Amino acid sequence: MRIIKLFTLLLLIWSAGQSESTTADESLWARESAFLLQRGRIEKGVFQPLTYGFSENLEFSTHALAFFVMPNLTAKWSHQNVGDWYFASTHGLIYPTPLLRLISREGTGGIISPEFDIPHLFGISNGILVSRRFQSELITLKAAIDVGLKTGKLDERTTIDLPLVYPRLQPFYTGCGLRFGFDIRHQFTSKIDVLTDADWFVFPGSDEGFAWEHKTLVAYHSRRNRFSLGYKLVYGEYPFGKAWHLIAPIFDYQRAWGK
Amino acid sequence: MNRIKMIVGLFVLLCLAGCDGLVTKFESEEKGILYKADHSIDPPTSADTLTVMTWNIRFGARRLGWFGDACGDRVILSEDEVMLGLEGIANKIWELQPDILFLEEVDVESKRTGYIDQMQWLLDHTYFNYGAYASMWQAQYVPSEGLGRINTGNAILSRWKITDAKRIQLALRSDQDALTKYFYLRRNLLIAKIAIPGLDNFYGACIHAEAFSTDDTKKKHVEQCVEELTKITDDDGLFILGGDFNLLPPGSDSTDFCDEDGCSDEHFHGKNDDPLHKDGSNYTPEITWLQPMYDNFSCAVPLAEFQSDQLHHFTHTTIHPDGYWNRTLDYLFANVDFIAGSDSTHQEAIPLSDHCPVTAKWRVSK
Repeated sequence: MRIIKLFTLLLLIWSAGQSESTTADESLWARESAFLLQRGRIEKGVFQPLTYGFSENLEFSTHALAFFVMPNLTAKWSHQNVGDWYFASTHGLIYPTPLLRLISREGTGGIISPEFDIPHLFGISNGILVSRRFQSELITLKAAIDVGLKTGKLDERTTIDLPLVYPRLQPFYTGCGLRFGFDIRHQFTSKIDVLTDADWFVFPGSDEGFAWEHKTLVAYHSRRNRFSLGYKLVYGEYPFGKAWHLIAPIFDYQRAWGK
Repeated sequence: MNRIKMIVGLFVLLCLAGCDGLVTKFESEEKGILYKADHSIDPPTSADTLTVMTWNIRFGARRLGWFGDACGDRVILSEDEVMLGLEGIANKIWELQPDILFLEEVDVESKRTGYIDQMQWLLDHTYFNYGAYASMWQAQYVPSEGLGRINTGNAILSRWKITDAKRIQLALRSDQDALTKYFYLRRNLLIAKIAIPGLDNFYGACIHAEAFSTDDTKKKHVEQCVEELTKITDDDGLFILGGDFNLLPPGSDSTDFCDEDGCSDEHFHGKNDDPLHKDGSNYTPEITWLQPMYDNFSCAVPLAEFQSDQLHHFTHTTIHPDGYWNRTLDYLFANVDFIAGSDSTHQEAIPLSDHCPVTAKWRVSK
């Protein structure tokens, strides 16, 4: 708690001296929008994925730390903007089987009971992002469809009934899931912004039909570094019923290389 | 700036509000959770004799080889398996017709039993109208063996209204590392005030004491139990307690079950064996720890009766699926004598749990 207080105090002291323009370069720290990283720029967070600006209209990202136990890759492709509206589509592939098999074990660390077999699972995700800047706000609307493919039976008792995790694995049980949401990023100064978002997960044909997630992150960033701190609020339906979870604090440090 | 302060302030408040811990910790004393059946069956308007019963129902797992208390590999039961267990338990309750029922190992929201609220299910599928529940293990996630979310505890079911219930926290084990202790069980004594016709100060109590400790935790649990029940007696109250003490009656012939309880890959009592004894299976150093209960209260199976025919009163086995009862862990105590010879140890219920129900009759003193 002392660290949080110290961080917020430093943020307040620092921001009191700021009087810069509040416009930001959308190509920096732009993961939650339709904007892409500049070509050659790389951003990596402790928890955020490694993102690489491959070209003017293509960007790749992967959760690098988890890659060896959960191979994953997402491409973000920018499309023709319509007036002030910017469009991008996302296309992702994930193979969580090695990770799920790793945590399906006896003793401490056993998240999934070892009495069940985990088949090969492939997750395919396709989505669309639409962003528009209004003075100091960057607003992004998003929608995606997640398809879960498997090579064998996945026992329903293998679900991990925890916030954040449960809805992300649910397409492997239901076949598909839909995601909708919006992000609002308000630029207070050129170096401080607040991101707030909301996401809805729905699973057609499932008894446990939805999850709602909201987060707010206060971030301080330069061109090379970004510190963010905030909370996440989750309301969802699990096999045991509906539940709220407040996850706080959440934090991340991101570093950028290249342009 | 003001906007920043407002947002940061809001954030700090939310941080201070904090998240729920992964594991629920309990106060030294707090309210028990009251239940009511969906049906309403008129309870008897007068009561001359009560039939009471205690039963550790093993969360409806019957005699399956569950990893935690047997040498099995089962963790998460199917809904069909749990329903089979619960239906068997409900049928036995209908057959034995207790007026007050003390249950241990009742799951109310556990992944291992399909998140079935067994407390509500048993109320709704028997003739009991009211229930009280106190959790001994409540965690959002137990990251071991895939156990996941769990809420299990002890319970009291009654034909008559339960007007109040309290959960007394029993001592925690001191022989575990901090991480294990954090995720481990928090045993309790549940005391419920029951509105039995003609009695205005009657309590039912249910205990499930520690099972696997290698320190003096079980002794502390007995001491706490005696202390709480003595308070009822001192207040001119009447009580009946049912429960699983995980202790043998003093004078038991056999006190070391390491060989019986050991799994195929385990060995005990050898010169180089570490540990020398299986946790929870060697009762030899604990054999007198239950004596204060006998000294202060009346047992449905008096010590002399038990000692004269021990096999007849065995209530527990760890050997699945075919082992037979080999020790006594389950008891009924009261501060007024039970009707002599009214006790029964229902060993025929062996397919239904690793403990058998014990019943006795108690005359309502006017």
